[in-house]
Amino acid sequence: MRKSIRAGWISAALLLILLVSSACTAVPAAAPAASEAAAEESSAEPARLVVAQSVDVQGLEPSNVNSRAESNIFQHMYATLFEITASGAIVPYLAESYTVSESGMEMTFKLREGLTCHDGEPLTAEDVAYTFQRAADDANGFTGNTAGFVLDAIQYQDARVESDLEVTIVMGRYSSPALGLISEAYIHCKDSYSAMSLEDAAANPIGSGPYRFVEWVKDDYVLLEKTPDFTLREVAYDEIQWKVIPEASTRTAELIAGNVDIITNVPPDQHEAINNSGNAGVTGVAGTRRMYVGFNQRAMFDDSEGGQAIKNTAVRVALQYAVDVPTICKTLLAFECERASSMVNPPNNNTNLVAYPYDPAKAEELLDAAGYPRKEDGTRFDITFMAGRGRYLNDVAVVQALAQYLTDVGLNVDLQVMDWGSEFVPALRAHEVGPLYFVGTGGGTWSAVYDMSDLSAPTAATNYTEWNNAEWFELWDQLSDARDPESEKVITDKMLEVMYNDPPWLFLYFQPDFYGIAGDVNWQPRRDEIVDLTTASPQ
Amino acid sequence: MTTYLVRRVLQTFVVILGVTLLSFFALFLAGDPTYLYVSERATTEEVAATRAKLGFDRPIHEQYGRYLVGLVTFDLGNSLRSRTPAFELVLERMPATLELTLFAILFATLLAIPIGILSATRRGTPLDGGIMLFAMFGQSMPSFWLGIMLILFVGLGLRWLPISGHVPVLEPLLSGDLPKALANLPDALRHLILPGVTLGVFSLARNARLVRSSMLEVLSQDYVTTAKAKGLSRFTVVMRHAFRNSLIPFVTIIGLEFGFLLSGVVVTETVFSWPGVGRLVFNAINQRDIPVVQAAVVMFSLLFVLLNLAVDVIYTQLDPRIRLS
Amino acid sequence: MTHSIQQPPAVARPDAARQPILRKQPSPWLSAWRSLLRARWPLLAVLSLAALVVVALLSPQLAPADPNRQYLIQRLQPPLSVNEASGGVYWLGSDGLGRDVLSRLIYGSRVSLAVGVAAVLIGGLFGVFLGVTAGYAGGRLDDLIMRLADVQLAFPFILLAIMVLVVLGAGLLNLVIVLAIGQWVTYARIARGETISQKRKDYIESARAIGVGSSRIVGRAILPNILAPLIVIASFNVAGVILSEASLSFLGLGVPPEVPTWGGMLAESRDQLLGGYWWLAVFPGVAIMLTVLSLNILGDWLRDFLDPRLRNR
Repeated sequence: MRKSIRAGWISAALLLILLVSSACTAVPAAAPAASEAAAEESSAEPARLVVAQSVDVQGLEPSNVNSRAESNIFQHMYATLFEITASGAIVPYLAESYTVSESGMEMTFKLREGLTCHDGEPLTAEDVAYTFQRAADDANGFTGNTAGFVLDAIQYQDARVESDLEVTIVMGRYSSPALGLISEAYIHCKDSYSAMSLEDAAANPIGSGPYRFVEWVKDDYVLLEKTPDFTLREVAYDEIQWKVIPEASTRTAELIAGNVDIITNVPPDQHEAINNSGNAGVTGVAGTRRMYVGFNQRAMFDDSEGGQAIKNTAVRVALQYAVDVPTICKTLLAFECERASSMVNPPNNNTNLVAYPYDPAKAEELLDAAGYPRKEDGTRFDITFMAGRGRYLNDVAVVQALAQYLTDVGLNVDLQVMDWGSEFVPALRAHEVGPLYFVGTGGGTWSAVYDMSDLSAPTAATNYTEWNNAEWFELWDQLSDARDPESEKVITDKMLEVMYNDPPWLFLYFQPDFYGIAGDVNWQPRRDEIVDLTTASPQ
Repeated sequence: MTTYLVRRVLQTFVVILGVTLLSFFALFLAGDPTYLYVSERATTEEVAATRAKLGFDRPIHEQYGRYLVGLVTFDLGNSLRSRTPAFELVLERMPATLELTLFAILFATLLAIPIGILSATRRGTPLDGGIMLFAMFGQSMPSFWLGIMLILFVGLGLRWLPISGHVPVLEPLLSGDLPKALANLPDALRHLILPGVTLGVFSLARNARLVRSSMLEVLSQDYVTTAKAKGLSRFTVVMRHAFRNSLIPFVTIIGLEFGFLLSGVVVTETVFSWPGVGRLVFNAINQRDIPVVQAAVVMFSLLFVLLNLAVDVIYTQLDPRIRLS
Repeated sequence: MTHSIQQPPAVARPDAARQPILRKQPSPWLSAWRSLLRARWPLLAVLSLAALVVVALLSPQLAPADPNRQYLIQRLQPPLSVNEASGGVYWLGSDGLGRDVLSRLIYGSRVSLAVGVAAVLIGGLFGVFLGVTAGYAGGRLDDLIMRLADVQLAFPFILLAIMVLVVLGAGLLNLVIVLAIGQWVTYARIARGETISQKRKDYIESARAIGVGSSRIVGRAILPNILAPLIVIASFNVAGVILSEASLSFLGLGVPPEVPTWGGMLAESRDQLLGGYWWLAVFPGVAIMLTVLSLNILGDWLRDFLDPRLRNR
């Protein structure tokens, strides 16, 4: 028995060494097989681009798009009236021009001639009107981006066909981001969609964009192929396949192995492995998602020390100095970032505002002055800090680091990390996370007002802090009278200054996005999280 | 025998009913999922309207009643997320999960038997010691860790096997496309190895030890000693007497094994991006997609219970003593 | 992955451990101890488990640093490097937030062991209680409890765990409860089987006839007989629970991120495995393996020892 165990130990030790060495081995370069396969592909087979994202689409209904991963796929299948370019310009797409009525409440779009949907049906004003009417129809029960966000944000009233190629969208009030918002609605044809049940429509998308639908294998991939007669876009790949690979390490391994061309959401600590692999690299872009710690000022937190404290503007300002945002970016996000000074993405922000620096001594001084000195146990006040897990880049690490910084200036932080979808989001929607919570809210490169519309009213659904600064909301009302960009800019700059001095948020950073890109693919990612593959080409 | 069967089938019904009750109330307690299915900017009235449409405003017994009716008519309603029938969603993913579990169960049993016998007949040798230590290592690694290691080492380092993904066999087979199933088979097997091993290694280790110990026990029985004394060859003794008898306790746990593996698929499917029910139901729980969770739980339990029923029935046929007790 | 609903690995042969209880015997525990001293590997296993318990109890004294103190600029330092901010040494390296891996490992032993033992203890007590009740009472109650056990077995554990954790919220206590729920059936079945077979024995029947109370019969006659197989299973199950905790952490349902557990550390390291930061996975991995290995060796030995047919070979 004794002898046998000794032999066993030897084999066990071998196994252990095997495992250890596998863990330390830096990833070897790609086998030649992968590149050979790629070469073959380009000569005989149709050129295919393979993209791996972490989540699958939930359905293929263009009016019910719920996530970024979904809209990435949809925007290749469906065209929009106008489109937002990588640099934030809004340019004609299906429509060639638009006019705004005197009141600012009606926008009339003139479509290009000779457009068709993927089933060959001509795409005319009637179809555009139908797209909006169908999304707005409560009987359909859509909750996605078009129905749940765009239509609400523009206060959609009606869509009216003026002529074969002219369609008017009627809104409840003038708002400057309306054109950009309308550019998020995926246009589809009336005859094909009115003939399908909702169930059929969710399985058989009939699009209007540069790629058309081929196949969806659930939780595996969505395959699209080039629309033969689509002329509004030049595309380099015949097919694009959107794979679902939930585990980040698996995505990276597939990229390095050469089975996937582009991966999204690369964890910072895998950049080196990809860059060293020799056949793929990581490209990072300064994203537009505004990451912040919210100060929830609802009465429900009044009976807690922390809830009381953050009602005090001086405390909220003091805490801005407590957090070293550039270091968090550099260490946890592998990115040199500038701290945000407001909720608006550059270049639309107020450039006169200087982001709060990291100065813990000043933070402590201000907290003392605000009436929250350190008590005998060394802490100032207890406060709960809530966050979701796995939604944002390295989020669990970031919130732990934030909690540490706040602890360093004397807060007694109770960090609660919850499941994103089932726990955090419902509580966030009900404005019940806090008094501190960590969230990122999607932004744009094309409009300050669009970025600011989270806080359109003290009770707005997305005003999770229920911040109620009278000056801000007065200025907000003035916005609908400003019809030119210059006068709008004056107001938004003023508003951002108000926000800076009475911060509802602890400003952090604009989240960087990292993409792993195979060496034989030429592609530059955009800042606004949109994965636009029409700009990709083989090297 | 008939009474026994009838009783077992009735029990099966009771168990399934219990499972539905348990899952229903667990989800009910998890709270109202309406917030996940309205837009971020929805007003209170819109939320209320959606809640009414989804039926979450009804009293709980009414919701449960509707759910039971749905079960019997095989229509649990549409997935809240994707708006396709929940049962369909689960059934679509079932073949992939079955492929994975079947592979793992074959791997874990077919290999365990020779390994266990080898170990038992060579008791006390270095071979036995080595096998048992490997078995213990197999039982001490979290599966996600083993999976990632296999991906890095076998998939990426050695490039012997595919890293992730699924090639269907069962699904074309079930839809009658035999040529496609056959054509896919070699590639499908290659894709199955890493996830299958990850899922099955714990069971393999446990089963190998189980076979070994029940084998040792049988080898020490009088009739085996007698057989040996009669001059039968060692091989004959082992195969004819010991092996068959040592399989009996092993067969009984196959049913439980299946349930155990079904539990493991959530992690394995995530690591290897395998499009099966495990990932579907994990996402559905997180999204509170109640119809899908219910459908998946019922399907899993039904599979488990029916398999165990079958094992029991076969077992009674094999071993008449059971029937009497 | 659930490693906790295991069929007892052929251990749970109640009759194996059954001994006539009215006859006086040398204490089985004493002879177990003697036998342990003669077997080298089980002894090593026991010693390493004892060492582990000492580490867990003395964590604050043994840990070189605060397990939760972060040094962002010192993150992902390899073993034996110096923490320039604090002057200390990262003996086993630092993690993604610059925390000391060794200290987290030491404190992690506390949580991992506590979770394992607590879950098995709670699940075991609950299971034995239900099993004995079912076996002793018989009839409807027995039926009810056993159907409940069937329901539990038919319900994939991981789904139950996810649901319960989603309902109750992730956290240490809830994790223990979930893992305990995954355990009770095994214990209940053994306890019930043993109770029924004991109940039929003559001396118990006569004891009942002369009016000895149920609790006394259960306490004196039944519990001592099932203790041995239960302990064997428990030793395997503590190992299973430690692994389950790791898997639940992987799914994001483990303990809060700042609480160090071995499984949590392993799960946390998964994005860093590709980057070559081996110490993040290897040290907690080895800790888990050694513990599980020790528990399994101990369990095997206990089974061999308590099962006379195998012991005397």
